[in-house]
Amino acid sequence: MNIEKRRKLESFIALLLSTLAAVFGLLWLVFILGDVLVHGIGALKLSLFLNDPTPPGVTGGGLRNAFVGQLLITVFATLIGVPVGVLGGTFLAEYARGTKIARIISILSDIMVSVPSIVIGTFIYAILVKPVGHFNGWAGAVALAVIMIPVVLRTTEDMLSLVPWTLREAAFALGSPYYKVIIQVVYRGAATGILTGILLSIARVAGETAPLLFTSFNNAFFSVDMKGPISSLTVSIFQYAMGPYDEWHMQAWAASFVITVFVLLLTILGRLIIKWRYR
Amino acid sequence: MPILQKKNPVDFSFSLITALASFTVVLLIGGILAVLVRESSLSIQKFGIIKFLVSTDWNPVTESFGAATTVYGTFVTTVIALVIAIPAALGIAIFITEISPNFLKGPIGIAIELLAAIPSIIYGMWGLFTLAPIMAKYVEPALQKSIGKLPVAGMLFQGTPMGIDLLTASVILSIMIIPFTASISRDAFNLTPAVVKESAYAIGATKWEVVKNVVIPYSKLGVFGGIALSLGRALGETMAVAFVLGNKHEIATSLLDAAATITVTLANEFTEADTDMYLSSLFYLALVLFVLSFIVLAIAKFFLLKAERKYSR
Amino acid sequence: MRKVFTLIVVSAIALSFSVAGAEGMLNGAGASFPYPVYSAWAYAYNKATGVKLNYQSIGSGGGIRQITSRTVDFGASDAPLPPEQLNKDNLLQFPAVMGGVVLVVNIPEVKAGVLKLDSEAVCKVYLGDIKYWDDKKIKELNPQMHLPHNEISVVHRSDGSGTTAIFTNYLSGACADWKTRVGAGTSVKWPVGIGGKGNEGVANYVKRAQYSIGYVEFAYAEQNKLAYTLLKNPAGRFIAPSFDTFEDAAATGDFNPKNHFNLWLVNAPGKNAWPIAGATFILLAKEKKDSNIRTVKFYDWAFKNGDNKAKELIYVPLPKSLKEKIRAYWKANGIH
Repeated sequence: MNIEKRRKLESFIALLLSTLAAVFGLLWLVFILGDVLVHGIGALKLSLFLNDPTPPGVTGGGLRNAFVGQLLITVFATLIGVPVGVLGGTFLAEYARGTKIARIISILSDIMVSVPSIVIGTFIYAILVKPVGHFNGWAGAVALAVIMIPVVLRTTEDMLSLVPWTLREAAFALGSPYYKVIIQVVYRGAATGILTGILLSIARVAGETAPLLFTSFNNAFFSVDMKGPISSLTVSIFQYAMGPYDEWHMQAWAASFVITVFVLLLTILGRLIIKWRYR
Repeated sequence: MPILQKKNPVDFSFSLITALASFTVVLLIGGILAVLVRESSLSIQKFGIIKFLVSTDWNPVTESFGAATTVYGTFVTTVIALVIAIPAALGIAIFITEISPNFLKGPIGIAIELLAAIPSIIYGMWGLFTLAPIMAKYVEPALQKSIGKLPVAGMLFQGTPMGIDLLTASVILSIMIIPFTASISRDAFNLTPAVVKESAYAIGATKWEVVKNVVIPYSKLGVFGGIALSLGRALGETMAVAFVLGNKHEIATSLLDAAATITVTLANEFTEADTDMYLSSLFYLALVLFVLSFIVLAIAKFFLLKAERKYSR
Repeated sequence: MRKVFTLIVVSAIALSFSVAGAEGMLNGAGASFPYPVYSAWAYAYNKATGVKLNYQSIGSGGGIRQITSRTVDFGASDAPLPPEQLNKDNLLQFPAVMGGVVLVVNIPEVKAGVLKLDSEAVCKVYLGDIKYWDDKKIKELNPQMHLPHNEISVVHRSDGSGTTAIFTNYLSGACADWKTRVGAGTSVKWPVGIGGKGNEGVANYVKRAQYSIGYVEFAYAEQNKLAYTLLKNPAGRFIAPSFDTFEDAAATGDFNPKNHFNLWLVNAPGKNAWPIAGATFILLAKEKKDSNIRTVKFYDWAFKNGDNKAKELIYVPLPKSLKEKIRAYWKANGIH
């Protein structure tokens, strides 16, 4: 065999292997999604959304409390996390642009994004559950907000940096103070980018379980009292999937399906916005 | 531009507010560290640092706690997961950037990012209901019959194949980090300037040679950073492994043994620890995990920054 | 888009403040052993009175922990706390219902109530000394059965558990080896096996793993159609777990309010007594006067109206005399 042929063969084999690796990786993922789809749709019932859980053995239970609880926790987490994240990102990209401080905070945020979420759960337990005296929904919302802040902060910083500096100079030239420039010019220019960041960060925290285990805990009843334990979909999935009852398993699949669809829709929406805006 | 605007009072307060907002990140990291140290002080005083890290005891009855078993479990699951995930992820990245026809690049790329967004609890539940029975019935007995018969490697596959063990947990973990690792590697590969690749093709290099000798060396730092980032992710993952690891505080010698990671121990025992020393030791575990993942993530960031600097030059 | 978002936010805030604390939910957590009966009682109680009692099954260790750090209104534990510890943490304790822990196996050839075990065999399995189902010891107990040569997968609890406390107390009482090598408690250092979270988790693992053995509260075995085993009791007879044999074990118990009803019901001497029976206890924080009254109201209601539901789930309701003792105990401690 001459060198030419050997090189071609080697290339062919290597590419075949990487294609196979790709197929291997993708197959698993298709398998998982397909499984969640099949089991989830099969278990979807209207009662899942309309009824509260019943004790094991009593049929017809649902997860209404968990849907509402999840919504509350996520909405409040967003309300806490987004302003802090956006403002923090503004500081890094505007007032502190190019400074050492901005760089350090930016790097720390990047690290913070991947800090194990269960550690954040233990941290919040120590500062918001133990001193207060009971598990509460606020603690869950704050735990999720803590995960959100660095994500939103970093995307905001990146998006603001994309707004051309000349745009700001034009506004300065008209005599506007910096805050007006930021709010009226820079934010406007980066709005869709920031919105995408927010959507993706919501998608990220909506599926979090670990930080809620010791904070918002769980509740067998319908409750919207954020000062007490509150149910969430993810913690319910954990409890139900680990439990021995077939009906619980069905509901866990259905809830997984709903949460997966929700997270994927948010992610797709985020991508579409980017595509539509930054074509 | 001065950091705090002093001229205009509104501007001054706005800049101050934004500054405070960005400092929450520093505050949070410092706060987490401080609170974890405070909460685990009882356990730190009793067991010290080295003794805690090397002790394999996790005995609530005698209140003797050590982190070695859970650190070991965390380490083993992560390493096996990476060993499975890295080739698959690199394969996907190579496939997207070099092999796939253009019309497939977009959809596969999006598919990968969507898969990276699936909550980890879904992976965990799927692992318990679907993967664990498959592993117990087919994969693990097959492994025992083949590799299990070999003299040394066989040790790794001893025991009863239950599907609730280190191997299953690692496989799920690897499936979970494949999309993440793949998308970072793809981004790193994409940074290779087209000109450089084209010149390699022009002198007659095959596709594989371009990948091997141009793309990979060029994006080495980025890929390393991506792998380190995935490592950080895998270390701290809870829900994907919580269902199928079996919570056993022992140094497992076989991949078919149950084990425990730091995260799974926390998820299982945190609300349930009955004594102060027990709870304090769990906080101590959280502290160990925090420090460990912080170091790994910092290393990842270091590589990625270096890669970034290299390309911007 | 913005409008929708504002709407969601405003309604969420309005919702959470308008109802905040209005109905005063009662929060309890602890033992998973009585979870089926507590949640059934709470469900009925809510229908009868509108009061919500949220009971989360997190294990007895958790129940003790959470009431000690006062993060719940009441804790639940299958392991009675000794009076010294109750006094130290300023707690009250009373039993609520009784039941039995059973051993469940998943062997394809074996149905419920067929396999015979004694304390020595169980002890050796959980110590890892007996590794295969066709071990000589198990064969001797089941001469007519054909047992497979498969390795036994041992399942135990991963969380701090009263079921574990009852089970390990049973083993410690019946088997000297266990007492010296492992001991008894809500969580112990297991020599072998994998850990499931809660009775639910153990039942789930046993259901999913072939050739496994685990221990769960009987209601979990029944609801999941798991194959329970017969056990030899101290009177020397092989006993099947049932309402009657649990009651027989419970009948020998002499609960004393003076030591806060601290009593184990394992290895009871009765002829038909199931050897691993136990009561499950409620823990109250002495100073939480307000929520104590409401918690006690619930249990008073359950003592009056819940016996049938308990029996349905194969729990043994407390005898009348004991219920009266408990009511007197409440009064004596200022809860009424």
